Amino acid sequence: MAERIEETVNGEEVLQKDEYLEKYGFNDKFEYKFRTKKGLSEEVVREISKIKGEPEWMLQKRLDALKVFYSKPMPKWGADLSKIDFDDIYYYLRPTDKSKGNSWDAVPEDIKRTFDKLGIPEAEKKFFAGAEAQYDSEVVYSNIKKELEEQGVIFTSMDQAVKDYPELVKKYFGTVIPASDNKFAALNTAVWSGGSFIYVPKGVKVMAPLQAYFRINAEKAGQFERTLIIADEGSDLANTDVTYIEGCFTAGTEISTIDGAVPIEQIRTGDKVLTHRGRYREVYHTQVRPHTGRLFHIKYFGDTSTVIDATDEHPFLVSKIEKTEYKNTDWKFEWVRADELQKFDYLAMPIDRSIVSHDQMEFMVPAGTGNRIDDMPLKLSIDEGFFRLIGYYLAEGSTTGHARDNYLMFTFNKGEMEYILDTAQLLEKYFGKKPIIQDVYKNRISVVLRSTLAAGFFSGEFGNGAMNKHVPNWVVHETLEKQRELVKGMWKSNGSSTNKGYVNGTSMFRINTISPLLAKQLRNILLRFNILSNINKQVRGGDRHTMYCVHIGGEDLALFANLMGVLSYDVGVENSDGTEMLVSVNQAQTTSSYSRIIGNYALLPIKEISWESVEDLPVYNFSVMEDESYMAGGVAVHNCTAPIYMSSSLHAAVVEIVAHKNSHVRYVTIQNWSKNVYNLVTQRAYAYENASVDWIDGNIGSGINMKYPSVFLKGKGASGEIVSIAVAGNNQVQDSGGKIYHLAPDTSSKIISKSVSKGSGVTTYRGLLHIAKNADNVKSTVRCDALLLDDTAKTNTFPYNEIYNSTATITHEATTGKIGEDQLFYMMSRGMSEDDALATIVLGFIEPLAKVLPMEYSIELKRLIKLDTSNSVG
Amino acid sequence: MKLEIKDLHVSVSGKEILKGISLEVNSGEKHVIMGPNGSGKSTLAKAIMGHPKFTVTSGEMLVDGKSINSLATDKRARLGLFLQFQDPVEIDGVGFISFLRAAKESIDGKAVGMKDFMKDMRGNISSLKLGDEFIGRSLNQGFSGGEKKKAEVLQMAMLKPGIAILDEPDSGLDIDAIKVVAENINKIADSTKPGLLIITHHTRILGYMKPDFVHVMVDGRIVANGGSELSDRLEKEGYNSYISKGSETSR
Repeated sequence: MAERIEETVNGEEVLQKDEYLEKYGFNDKFEYKFRTKKGLSEEVVREISKIKGEPEWMLQKRLDALKVFYSKPMPKWGADLSKIDFDDIYYYLRPTDKSKGNSWDAVPEDIKRTFDKLGIPEAEKKFFAGAEAQYDSEVVYSNIKKELEEQGVIFTSMDQAVKDYPELVKKYFGTVIPASDNKFAALNTAVWSGGSFIYVPKGVKVMAPLQAYFRINAEKAGQFERTLIIADEGSDLANTDVTYIEGCFTAGTEISTIDGAVPIEQIRTGDKVLTHRGRYREVYHTQVRPHTGRLFHIKYFGDTSTVIDATDEHPFLVSKIEKTEYKNTDWKFEWVRADELQKFDYLAMPIDRSIVSHDQMEFMVPAGTGNRIDDMPLKLSIDEGFFRLIGYYLAEGSTTGHARDNYLMFTFNKGEMEYILDTAQLLEKYFGKKPIIQDVYKNRISVVLRSTLAAGFFSGEFGNGAMNKHVPNWVVHETLEKQRELVKGMWKSNGSSTNKGYVNGTSMFRINTISPLLAKQLRNILLRFNILSNINKQVRGGDRHTMYCVHIGGEDLALFANLMGVLSYDVGVENSDGTEMLVSVNQAQTTSSYSRIIGNYALLPIKEISWESVEDLPVYNFSVMEDESYMAGGVAVHNCTAPIYMSSSLHAAVVEIVAHKNSHVRYVTIQNWSKNVYNLVTQRAYAYENASVDWIDGNIGSGINMKYPSVFLKGKGASGEIVSIAVAGNNQVQDSGGKIYHLAPDTSSKIISKSVSKGSGVTTYRGLLHIAKNADNVKSTVRCDALLLDDTAKTNTFPYNEIYNSTATITHEATTGKIGEDQLFYMMSRGMSEDDALATIVLGFIEPLAKVLPMEYSIELKRLIKLDTSNSVG
Repeated sequence: MKLEIKDLHVSVSGKEILKGISLEVNSGEKHVIMGPNGSGKSTLAKAIMGHPKFTVTSGEMLVDGKSINSLATDKRARLGLFLQFQDPVEIDGVGFISFLRAAKESIDGKAVGMKDFMKDMRGNISSLKLGDEFIGRSLNQGFSGGEKKKAEVLQMAMLKPGIAILDEPDSGLDIDAIKVVAENINKIADSTKPGLLIITHHTRILGYMKPDFVHVMVDGRIVANGGSELSDRLEKEGYNSYISKGSETSR
């Protein structure tokens, strides 16, 4: 009997899951409505079949397979499988009462959340031609684009296919891989659940790749999906299984970190970055890769100083525009690829509302006289008055001196006596020394404090020279009460307001600075008050610096006036420096009326989006603990990766492909399972006359992997190609390769295997080349290259040949290489660190194959090589 | 930038190769080290760059007064040292351009814009007569002897080192290629004024670039120092007189 799980989840289990959530991210606490009893038995198999409402013939196949499973011994010729406990596994989990969602709306919220985290957004139909997402044992959602349906392509879950296409399933299921093939194929046949069924009719070419997503969510839930692909005569299909998607940004893209804005290329493991949830989380891996293809340039309203450059597939957090008048009524957020973004879609800028407050702080300031410089401690009260003084400094302050800064100076317009006196009084209060108020010079009055300590403090914490002004981290996270005073100080002395002479007679506030960083920081601080400002970059004539104006207009005007303690209609009309700036109030006005603050997001419409083709442009990305997202150029973007789990899971899938006459099928699998997973998958294809089948098989994850895709060349002129890539880091065994059976004349095949091992990792190539007696004129090439990254890594090669026909042309090449001292020395002599040099060499090694693979491969590889040495993850 | 070598002794697998070398190279100076095969010239080059196989048993290497003896190779490179390899290794699948750009970024400590980088690259490629298809190739993979030498000079031009050690930039090159390589080295010398330490067997390349200092190295020791007149003399007389001298001093 199936148990009702709500009752049986005990407190301890829930606690563990919370820990995972805290530590590793997104193992959603999920209420399983049904699961079978732990362990394997005839009763469990019957239960699975019954829950699925299967016909008798399928149940019979399961029961027969179960007998085969019991009768076969555990394979001992490869990796150590003795630790798999078949009685400690749940063989069936069903996530919901509804067995199937026909549309995204029918998918339960918590599953949607998990998919969001996986980077499979609500807009998946835009992402993929048809995506089938598997959540544990049941396919909860599948979608096929209309065109495919019209062509007669069937892409559905295996479970559904049993019901809807029984004749096709009966005809092919288990014919390519019978249960008797091996113990794990038998197990899969007995307890299979989920997986994909694809049928491509005669002559149909499926151009867009169909992608299916698999993941094991529950601990100890075996996943036994079953995939059956039938390519009818003359059809063409490329199917890709990837565990995640990932995109990238160009160098210089500003990432919001807990220490301020940092160019993406300088982001390192361990840095804390702001995520789309408005909180800081740690970076756990970084990567850079060359990008060839489209590079998108995105500008958004509200900040004319920022252009975001992103690769075409990078997902952004957006609310899609619903109507042309820029006013969505329903604010739904989704992850959308750069190349699917449209003008006026709203980019989400999360608001960092975190508060870290101090009453007092001690700073070390370089001080002393003559040539002696010592760091002196400076203790300061961090209160509202002090923040106002900071505001004055940001607007009007500077420091001067000979050997170092001795003078702290604030220069105001002569008319601003109120602020001059306020500044003088504040300086005396916090630094215990009376400043000098100088005489009027060119309509200006300076307040000067002679204090090496004060001058050193301000130039050190807030920058000297107007271009370099910024606020440090401790200011960014202070309380709103203090920050209000900072804005006041800045605005009163350097800002302005105007309500005359412009179109519509509208009013606006603005604060000017020539520091682009300060402009953004100010914008972010104002967001904490729910005030939406716009940064307007003004390139000015002559040798004058580019000005960044932080405007507040429209509906935010009243909020700002209220914050500053002025009524919006009685603010002055003149600029503090007596000059008029060239700003278009009109533009500021419309811009802010486009934008919105919804909850913890400022939503900024895309103003311009364009792209160019680039070649080998280095692009950067990194992964973030838990939230799997970060801020690039101020807006939220996604990163994705496989989830990490604690104890062992078993993944024993079966993939059967039937390629009829003249058809072509390409199947790409990149498995990135976490290291506690046993990945024991059987993949086999039948290729009939002149058909061709390519397996591209990337094995990066899992603790123990045994996988040998095979092609049976059954018809004259058929061809098969197997590309196998394996990367074994510490505690990983990658036992992989390929099998080709030449069973007909004029058939050709190619096996290419590249493996990389490191530390205690072991890679094994296991290949079989069979040429039957009647198979004349066979051509076959086998090449396997292994790369060892250190002295402890191991690699084995076991090529088996069964040749019964002497007309065959066979070439076999195998190499084992070690990264040489001289290679590392050469690269390091050019300034590369040892880690970078190592990663570069390995990426070069697999480069010929990486071309045909999705880019995640290189990303994951780099993570393995770099992070495994530091033991940070995994 | 200043590189000082003080009484440097270097061994390889227990065998002493360098037996007390002292040398000083400053920015803007052109030094030439000549000597017969096996005298330890390349060992000196690799020891300065920190190859793990070469053990410094005594003596000191200093950059601007600070010892670099215990610095890793990449840190030395980031100080501004550069070694032009006599026979650079081939690395499969690593694009020459992306490698060089990554190298430049780590040496400069900042991101390098693709546009400017490529502009610079193309300029240098054409002045080295390398041909545009060079851009798409893997690091030293399948390069001819001449292309390898030129690619090393290209790297030097792009990385703009403070002190560059050129280990036989001329060996294996035909007369036209030697001229192109020498002209390009001169161009770098004129524009960024690195200190140059050129290791060579023969004097042909010196016809295109006049050294300020010439050092003769025999059996792990510098046995003679002089100006460019010294290389002229070697051209005529060979090393024989120094070889006997070398063995005398070793006694």
